[in-house]
Formats: sequence, structure tokens, C-alpha cells
Amino acid sequence: MSAKAITSLLFTVALVYTLNRSWDFGKPIPPLGKFLDPFHGFWRNAESKDLKSSEEIISGLKDEVSIVYDSTLIPHIYAKNEEDLFFAQGYITAKYRLWQMEFQTHAAAGRISEIIGPAALDFDRGQRRLGMAYAAQNSVEEMEKDSIIKMVANRYSDGVNAYIKSLDYEKLPLEYKLLNYWPEQWTPLKSGLLLKYMAKTLNIQDKDFEMTNALKLFGKETLNLLYPDNEHVGDPIVDNPNGWNFKPVSLDKVAHALPKDFVQINQLEKSSTDIGSNNWAVSGIKTASGSPILCNDPHLELNLPSIWYIIHLSAPGFNSMGASLPGAPTVISGFNDSIAWGETNAQRDLVDWFKIEFKGKTKKDEYLSDGVWKPTKKVIEKFTAKGKEDTFDTVIYTHHGPVTYDESYHGDNEKNHYAFRWIAHDPSKELLAFYLLNKGKNHRDYMKALDHYTSPAQNFVFACVNGDIAMRIQGKYPVRRANEGRFVLDGTKTSDEWQAFIPSEQNITYKNPARGFVSSANQYPVDDTYPYYVTATNFEAYRNRRINQLLSEWKSITPQDMMKLQADNYNLKAAESLPGWLKMLDSAKLNNDEKIAFEKLRSWDFNNSITSEGASYYEAWLRTIYPMIWDEIFDSRVSLPEPTSYTTIKLIKEKPDLSFFDIKSTAEKETAVDIVRKSFSEGVKAIEKWRQEKKTNPEWAEFKDSYIQHLARLAPLSYHVKHGGNGSIVNAHSKRNGPSWRMVASLEKQGVKAWGVYPGGQSGNPGSPYYNNMIDVWSADHYFNLHFNSSTEQMNPFAMSSSTLKPEVK
Amino acid sequence: MKFLLQTLTTIIGCFIVQYFLPWWTMAVVALIVGFIFHNSGKTSFAAGFFGAGLLWLGMAYYMDVSTQSILTEKISKLFPLNVFIMTAVIGSLVGGFAALTGTLMRGKKLAKY
Repeated sequence: MSAKAITSLLFTVALVYTLNRSWDFGKPIPPLGKFLDPFHGFWRNAESKDLKSSEEIISGLKDEVSIVYDSTLIPHIYAKNEEDLFFAQGYITAKYRLWQMEFQTHAAAGRISEIIGPAALDFDRGQRRLGMAYAAQNSVEEMEKDSIIKMVANRYSDGVNAYIKSLDYEKLPLEYKLLNYWPEQWTPLKSGLLLKYMAKTLNIQDKDFEMTNALKLFGKETLNLLYPDNEHVGDPIVDNPNGWNFKPVSLDKVAHALPKDFVQINQLEKSSTDIGSNNWAVSGIKTASGSPILCNDPHLELNLPSIWYIIHLSAPGFNSMGASLPGAPTVISGFNDSIAWGETNAQRDLVDWFKIEFKGKTKKDEYLSDGVWKPTKKVIEKFTAKGKEDTFDTVIYTHHGPVTYDESYHGDNEKNHYAFRWIAHDPSKELLAFYLLNKGKNHRDYMKALDHYTSPAQNFVFACVNGDIAMRIQGKYPVRRANEGRFVLDGTKTSDEWQAFIPSEQNITYKNPARGFVSSANQYPVDDTYPYYVTATNFEAYRNRRINQLLSEWKSITPQDMMKLQADNYNLKAAESLPGWLKMLDSAKLNNDEKIAFEKLRSWDFNNSITSEGASYYEAWLRTIYPMIWDEIFDSRVSLPEPTSYTTIKLIKEKPDLSFFDIKSTAEKETAVDIVRKSFSEGVKAIEKWRQEKKTNPEWAEFKDSYIQHLARLAPLSYHVKHGGNGSIVNAHSKRNGPSWRMVASLEKQGVKAWGVYPGGQSGNPGSPYYNNMIDVWSADHYFNLHFNSSTEQMNPFAMSSSTLKPEVK
Repeated sequence: MKFLLQTLTTIIGCFIVQYFLPWWTMAVVALIVGFIFHNSGKTSFAAGFFGAGLLWLGMAYYMDVSTQSILTEKISKLFPLNVFIMTAVIGSLVGGFAALTGTLMRGKKLAKY
């Protein structure tokens, strides 16, 4: 060969090589040749609206499984036995959501850096140091002990793996092609990781470190003024005075000492306080049909692909439908032919931090507990960040749990080490609870199912076609002494540890209350006669009151009324604060912009509707008044907890001379009135600035600018949404969080009717018309009919396509 | 004429092989076609360039139209260049250099007339 030929050959080979691998020039670049290849690359991930019916032969099935997709791409799975049913749930969920399932479980396990590179290493180390995989492993060991959940989790895994096995590059989900990696085998551990990830989202808003600092800085009295355990607002979830007929577990009266430290660690990111949920069930005496109606809307961060996947699971002895979590078997919030159930987060402190004393300076082989040096357990965590050599981190385990913060991770100095005690580290069987709920027939079954449920604590609403409604605040709760759990605990004393747990039958619950409905919206859980101490990071003060007020007033309630309530935009916070604030303004001194703002606010109907400008002015005011009042907290050199807006508003009204109203950076001494006036001017300026930048009127949906983001944070795969509502409003849609699933179920004897919707689509593929098709329906506060038919024949009129999964013939 | 024939053969050959095999087999086909036709370097490069480029562009266009462009725009926004252009350029370059290599491997082409 000539030199020319060799040069040309080498060049061609180099070109192909370059285009066949990924690169990272600050921004990751997929293997361009592979990715752009119109025969196998991303072009093949584009789908048209019409789906062909199909037949697939799958090894691992026992019998034939029929799947009917309705026009929303909801799969109605009809299997001949439960083994095949959960296999098919795994297979079908993976078919539409595989990338998301794996990405979320990688995030849970602290393995995101393997996909996106070293930028995620700090996050990954945090996940390992919180013991996420340790928690999941504990729950899997518990699963293994129970023959039912073992079967359910294993068959689900088998189904996911059967789908993974069927993949080639052409069929690989888009995100794998973009980030250039391949799915690994699914295991029950991954389902466990997913559930622990959910638990982390719902449990970890704690402020123990901040409270510890506040205690030292402000003292007890101010602490209780700014951060009361119970704001005593509205009805508790269960109001059953003197109805607690049991002998409570009592603890020795060992007063645990309050800490005297400042903690200056750099804390890991916590969930937004906008995370919460609504659920309620109305008894037949209040409905038009005479049958109970149950509603649920969990408020979570809104992402794509959505956290929920609607599914209908049917096999002999099993028939349930509703929202499932991709990655976990069974239906989580849904209904069957007899009952319906749904969850909201039970605000309860289930997270504690123990300050650990190690022997010696560096080795951390032993730690002090009641005067005895106990050995630590060291777990070496390996991180395989993409494009980087492996790195390692040693996580020290004590009997409390893993040491999350020390001098090598987010710590302040080498003397302060904090071990993490979390209820979700304990063995748990939440999947068994959900499995039994899916099959439940009546109130007794619901109670039995929930006996198996420990974490994350949830308010489980219930309704039955026989007319019963109920609420149970279920979880595994430590018995707490007053103030226990609010601050950092002393890890050297066992008397500071969790001593006992509340027996499950003593948990807060009631059935068929006289008022004709049950409801929960993350408020304080129970009346003052409940014999246990209850504390949490925060309790919601507004949504629950609005819901209870309307449910009390309404009669002859229809499912449409319930949809209206889920979409209710009434801003109770504004209704309670704004009139008083407006009175405090000096109308003679307002400038032109302020006069317009004043007028918009005065005439506002307190609804955060899409076009409301009053809502935007109020929000802008709130955003300025809050940091102006709490400048002492925001400007502090140690991190401090933020008082709730309920407490803030109350203090403005009731204690206008409180020293916190004085702005530290000014010479004069301000009171609440000065703050209200000053923040009003600043708020109006903020709106005017916004108006000039956007060149449009500050209508609420524009000003709020809600965003539903792709999990890999890719803007072209994400959407801005125009929708009303806000945090603290029943329609709890803030900028990033909101009703991630809305369900209304009417439990009629002739057949359960149900409606549902979520801001996303059934397909996780950005190249599918079903990726985002529910967003506009959701933001218009409309619903899809959830066709709940017990056979494929009955489903035919609603079928868009069908698919048959056939076992391999041997 | 030989240019057109080589281009067409490249398109058909690449289409068949690529339908089943990974993207880089396109380079092998373009190289073999270049070798067989043994056109001049310039002609061979051009035939591989246009053959593979047109095939990729055509297939991409077909996918785009049959799915109402549902993904094209989203992916285009992820890259600094339009994806049609990128797809065509990458197909063309690989096809062109592979075809050039093919003809060069046969050795110097003698002027016949």
C-alpha cells in the first residue's frame, strides 16, 4: 500500500474511533457517529402517535398476559396468576420508564457520578454517608423473610430484566444514548433503594442543627415563640379528644440535657417545605350518590419523566389501579373494586443527629457510649466517577447509624462528628403493606395491611364501597420525651437515644367521624389528649383549614366538586394577612407604582388564578417582608431555622414591637409597621423590575413561572407551565413543586369510578407523543377517566392498542 | 457516470448493511465500493461523501417526517448545530474518507486514454 493509502486509512479509522466514543469538553458529548446514525441512533427514539398492537414471546412467564393500552397509554394488565402479574408490571414499567428507574436508584445509592461525572461526587458521598444503601439492604433482608413480598419483588425484577435483555442500541432509551452508558441488571435492592429515596424526600427536612444553634443564640423562651411545636391552628388530622383508651408507653423521667454547641457544618441539601400532600374521604351522607368519595394529591418536585406511572393490575384475586412508583411493584395511591386509599406525608420527626466522641484523634476505631469505648465499623465506599480514577471514602458506622458529617465531609472541625439516626435505616416491609392494600376488601383489611407499614410515616386515607371512611397516621415512631428530637443529641449517653417505639395499635387513627369526612394536609396530627409527644420540622397551617372549611360546608358532593377542590386557588394566607398589612400602609405617601399595586391588592379576591396580578404583588411582598424581618436569622454566621410564615404573620399582628422587627443594619428602630411599609415599597420595586425585564404584566402564572424539569436537567426536554396555585394553597403548585398526581375515586356499589391525572405522560421517552401529553390537561385542572374494567373484552371500546406477552414454548 | 454508479452503489450497499449492523460498517462498505470502482481519488471521495451523506440525510428525514419531528427540535437544541446538518456531515465525512481509502488501496490509477 502506498503511503497515501495508509495515511487515508489511518485517518478514516481515527475518524470512526473519534465518532464512536463519548468526549467531555466541559460539556459531555455523546459518541456522535453512533448517536446520529439514523438507523440506530437517537432518530429511532422518535415515535408516532399510533401504536401497533404486538405479540412478544418472553422467557420467564408462566402463562399468557394480555395488556390493553387506553388512549392515555395506561396499561391494563390482565394476567392469569400473580407471579405473571408482577413480572408484567416490571416488564411494562421498564418498557416506558427504564432510564428514570435506574437513574433514581443510582441517585439513591450515591452513584450518579458514574453517569454524569465528578460533578456529582459530593452528592454521591452524601448519599453513602446517609446510609441509603444500608437502609435499602436492611429492607431487602426483611423482604427475603416474607414469602409474598419476596415473590412480588423478585418477579418484578425478573420482568424488568426481561425487558433489559430485549434491548439493542436502537431500542435503548434516549438518555442512555445521550450519556453513553448501558442499563445494568435490576434487583429487589433497587426497588428498596427507590423506596428509601422516597423516604429521604419525605423525611429529611429536619432542622436539628439549626435549632441547636437557635437555642444557644436566642434561649428557650424566644425559641418557643419563633418555633413552637404546635401552632394550634385549625383542626388536627384526627380530632378524637379523650378517645385514646390505651396505656401509653412511659419512659423513665431522665431529662436529657439540651446541647450548648454552635454547629457550623455545611449541611446537605434538604427537601423543600413545599413538599406535602392533600387527601380526604367524604362519607356517603355528604355525597350526591350516597357513596364515599376519596381524593389524593401528593405534592412533590415536578420532574419528567414523572414520579408516577398509572397502571391497572388484574389477576385472579387481584384487581387494583392507580399510581405506581416506577421501580416498585404494586399500586401506591389507588383503588380496587372495594376500597380506595391514598397518602400524605405524616409530619413527624424521625431523624436525629448524635454527636459522637471518638477515641484518639484520627483513627476512629472506637467511640464513647456510657463510659465504654465501643468499636466502630468502617465501610469503604468506592466511587467510579465517569472519566476519573476511582476514589474512596471511609464511612464510619456506630450503633446509632453512619457518621455523615465529620472533618472529611462538610464538617466544621475535627472534634465534631455527627451520626445519623433515621427510622428508614430500620428493617421495613412497606411493600407487604401496599400489596395487602391492593387486595384489601374492607376496613379490617386496611388496618391489617397498615400494621406492616413502618416508614416513611404517612397519613393513609381510606374509603370503602360499604360506606366506611377512615384515616390512619401510620409509621414507626420513637416514644419521645418533651423536646427530644428537636436538637442535636449526645451520642455518648444511651439515655439520649430512642428508648422505645409507640406500639402500632396506639398510632393515631379514626373511622367514620361524625363530621362526615376525614382529611389530612400535613397539619398537626392529633388533639392535645393524645398521650405522646409529637414534634416535626413543620406543620402546614393553611391548606388543611381551607379543605376542612369547604368539606364542612358542602353537601351533595359530586366527584366534579372534588376536582374543583383539588384545583382550589384560594390563598388563605393572603386572606389572613393582607387586609391588615394594607391598613398599615400610609396611603398619602405612596408613589404612582405603589398606588397601582395598592389598588390591585385591595381589589384582589385572594385567588392565585393564572391571570391574577394581585397574587403576584402579594407574593413579591411576602418575598421581601420575610428576609427583612428575619435578617438576624439570614445574616447569622451560624445556620438558624426559619420561622413559618404562619408564625411570622401572627407576630406582625400580635407583637409588633418584637426586637426582630428592627432591621439591624439601620440606625433607627423599626417596628412591624415600618417593616410592612418598607417591604411593600421593595416588593413593588421588584415587580416593576420584573415587568421591565419581561415586558409583560405580572400575571400570576407568568410571575410564578412553574417549571417541570427533566431529571437530567436538560432544558429542551423540560417545560414551563402556566398554572395557578402556590405552596400553602390547596392547589399546591409552586415554581417547582406541586400536585404530582391527582386522583378522585367514587366508591359506588355498582362499580368504582375514578379519575386521575399528573403533569407528565405515561411514556418516559422524550421522543414519544405520550411524554408530556397530560401536562396541559393537568394544568387545565382536567382529569382522565381511569377505565377500571375487569376483562380485556370490556376494555375493548377504550383500547388504543393491545399487546400479548407469551411464555416461551419449551 | 462512474461517479454516479459508485454513489448509488454506496447508498444501496450502506443501506442494506447498516440496516442490520452498527453505524461504522458504513465505512467498511464505502471503502469496499471505493476499492471496486477504483475511481480517481477525488471522484471516489465525492461518491462516498455524497452516497453516505445522502443516505443518512434521507433516513433522518424519513424518521423526522414519520414522527412529526417530535424529537428533532429537542435534540437540535442540545447541540450547537442543527441535527440534520450534523447527521449529514458525519455520514459524508466518514463515507468520503472511507471511499478515498478504498480507491487508494488499489494503487495508482493509470490514465486509460
